[in-house]
Amino acid sequence: MNPTALSRPLMVLAGLCAAAAVLAGAFGLAAAGQATVNGLVAGSYLGLGAIGLTLVFGVLRLVNFAHGDLLTAGAYFVIGLSALGLPLSLAVPAAIGGTALLAYATEVLVWRKMRSARAGTLQLFLTAIGLALVIRFSIQFVAGGQARTLGVDILSSVEFGTVRLGLMQATVLGVGIATMAAVGMMLRHTTLGKQMRAYADNRSLAEVSGIETRRIVVATWLLSGFLAGLAGLLYAGAIGTFNPNFGLTLLLSLFAAAILGGIGNAYGALVGGLIIGLSQEWATLFFNPRWKPAVGFAILILTLLLLPQGIFGKARRKS
Amino acid sequence: MKNRRFMVPFTASMLALLVSASSTSAVAADLTIGSLPELTGPLADSGPAFDKATKLAVTLANKAAQTAGLGMAIKITVADPQGDPQSALSAARTVVDKGASCILGPATTGESIAILNGLTMQKKMTLWPTASSERLRTVKDDGTIFRVVPADALQTNALMAAMIDGMGSPSGKTLAIAYRNEPYGEGLAKSVTKAWEAAGGKVQAPIGFDPQQASFDSEAGRLVAGAPDVYLIVDYPETYAKLGAALVRTGKFDARKLFLPDAMSMATVPANIPAASLEGARGVVAGSPKDSEAFKAFTKLWKDEGGVENAAFSTNAFDSAIMCFLASVAAGSTEPGAIRDKVRSIVTEGAPKFTFVNLAEAAKAAKAGQKIDYIGASGQMRFGANGDLITGLFDVFKFTAGKRTIVTQVSAK
Repeated sequence: MNPTALSRPLMVLAGLCAAAAVLAGAFGLAAAGQATVNGLVAGSYLGLGAIGLTLVFGVLRLVNFAHGDLLTAGAYFVIGLSALGLPLSLAVPAAIGGTALLAYATEVLVWRKMRSARAGTLQLFLTAIGLALVIRFSIQFVAGGQARTLGVDILSSVEFGTVRLGLMQATVLGVGIATMAAVGMMLRHTTLGKQMRAYADNRSLAEVSGIETRRIVVATWLLSGFLAGLAGLLYAGAIGTFNPNFGLTLLLSLFAAAILGGIGNAYGALVGGLIIGLSQEWATLFFNPRWKPAVGFAILILTLLLLPQGIFGKARRKS
Repeated sequence: MKNRRFMVPFTASMLALLVSASSTSAVAADLTIGSLPELTGPLADSGPAFDKATKLAVTLANKAAQTAGLGMAIKITVADPQGDPQSALSAARTVVDKGASCILGPATTGESIAILNGLTMQKKMTLWPTASSERLRTVKDDGTIFRVVPADALQTNALMAAMIDGMGSPSGKTLAIAYRNEPYGEGLAKSVTKAWEAAGGKVQAPIGFDPQQASFDSEAGRLVAGAPDVYLIVDYPETYAKLGAALVRTGKFDARKLFLPDAMSMATVPANIPAASLEGARGVVAGSPKDSEAFKAFTKLWKDEGGVENAAFSTNAFDSAIMCFLASVAAGSTEPGAIRDKVRSIVTEGAPKFTFVNLAEAAKAAKAGQKIDYIGASGQMRFGANGDLITGLFDVFKFTAGKRTIVTQVSAK
């Protein structure tokens, strides 16, 4: 990692802190603080969800439209396992593991075969959409289309000075930030993480230097599925109620986070998720909340106009 | 040459088949009613009651047709519009493919307009939606839409009456409004804002929200800021599950100050909506004259049948099925356009009155070409020139311990 790339996260962090400070000055600490905390909660599940999307793209050059439905699967695995009598403390890790296995299963059953058949971009694109529908409607077939809850306490809240935060949301924020840090460390310091990043940066070079492709691909799917399952659970916990379509409605924001951060870059996805979450909630300080999604995406477009490769993206050299 | 020998008998037999087919359809005109209950999607809480009501009506229509010796059977064919315009249009196509001559439902304006433009206007087929938004009347419908619930201009007046009854005069009081950013939400938010301000009250900047969005905490925070005296939230149950939880988390929300429109009328608060977010909240929904014979008979019928509880729009849906049947009998046809042209003849002011209790007699009179006045379980049916009801009776309901009870009724004009 070169020094400019290292300084970018700090610059982004400084930028976000400065924006928060300006907002606190303009709208008061209570309003700005509340919007910031709400934004961080949204950012935590968006960021975690986007990492898997961006890693799969980086390693496999695959735009995985089925990724949103992996989030849905994570939440519904918990419901299914709870219905079978498993306590929540066991159902949660089992569901996250189950989602990782589901992601791996899509690799074994679909993607590996598509790659060996040398499927083109359009074929992969349509297969991903098809897979998304299969996962979504399988969930709907088994669990029904009605709104569901995880059965956790979503009403209690804690107060930090002037800022109020749901107990469940505080948990989501804590788990989200801890996982983001852990994933960041893993990618930065472990051999596997370095290999994954190397592979995403330059596939040919990575292969030449002796990185085993198959191992990286399997690890990518497992990590992607693990984080998607966790993000789905965090969403379900933070919002409280969901139906089989929630992954699909989140998918656009996940893509936005991945692209904003620089598609293929895992740190970028984390930061992108936080920026999307924060900017949407901060927007409610200025505008009627009905414009919230529009403002979030306007910021995405503006950023891409200034940094076309995303915040952490590198301009690709033409070979 | 060889072929021609076969062609002659083949053509003749095909012709014979065609003739026999057309003659059977002219004799036994069985009526198929299409029904679009919201079984899944954002209004899924209302679907089962709608479905039960329309099926009850069809059972009664069959009995009446038999008693009156009409020699026709009435069938119902059901598809789920899923609360979404595109799905609603394909659901409508499904029921029409199965022979429907009229369509009951759907529950939202967006769905109704999609069905109208994509299918029913061209076929001159009557559509009987329970959607209340004024936006429905901004499109040309060629006299095909008969709305069986009072439109939102009437609902606005009913909401105002309920709010004044519950919270006192609006003068000097602040009303905080949040609404789904779509025709139903925006229309009601605007009209209530106007009415509240005209009555001397203040309205805190109305908050619109995208029903698809994930989190509602910032919206909830804005809504409770400044401690308003009254809240109005125009939403559907599925979204309110998120918004309601966010409101409770603010720690400043008092559900007893909350008023709700018809879409939030549920017999029981479902498990995914935090009970605390609705405890003591009040709202309005199209009601029925409780003392009328028709309503009493309907209530008994509903109980005897068992199954889902009576929530919102069940009498209205029931009446729409009966009216489609009677109009078809009056027209002596199951042709959609002929049914449309006879609707007003079965709800004519001053004509002999009938209810579903004496449906066989009503059918006989309609068959004989007489004008009749069908009095519905939901009350008198008076359609204005545009096909909207000109008066509306509303139930004022209240949520207590997770159950909906009817507190009083208001009549809106």
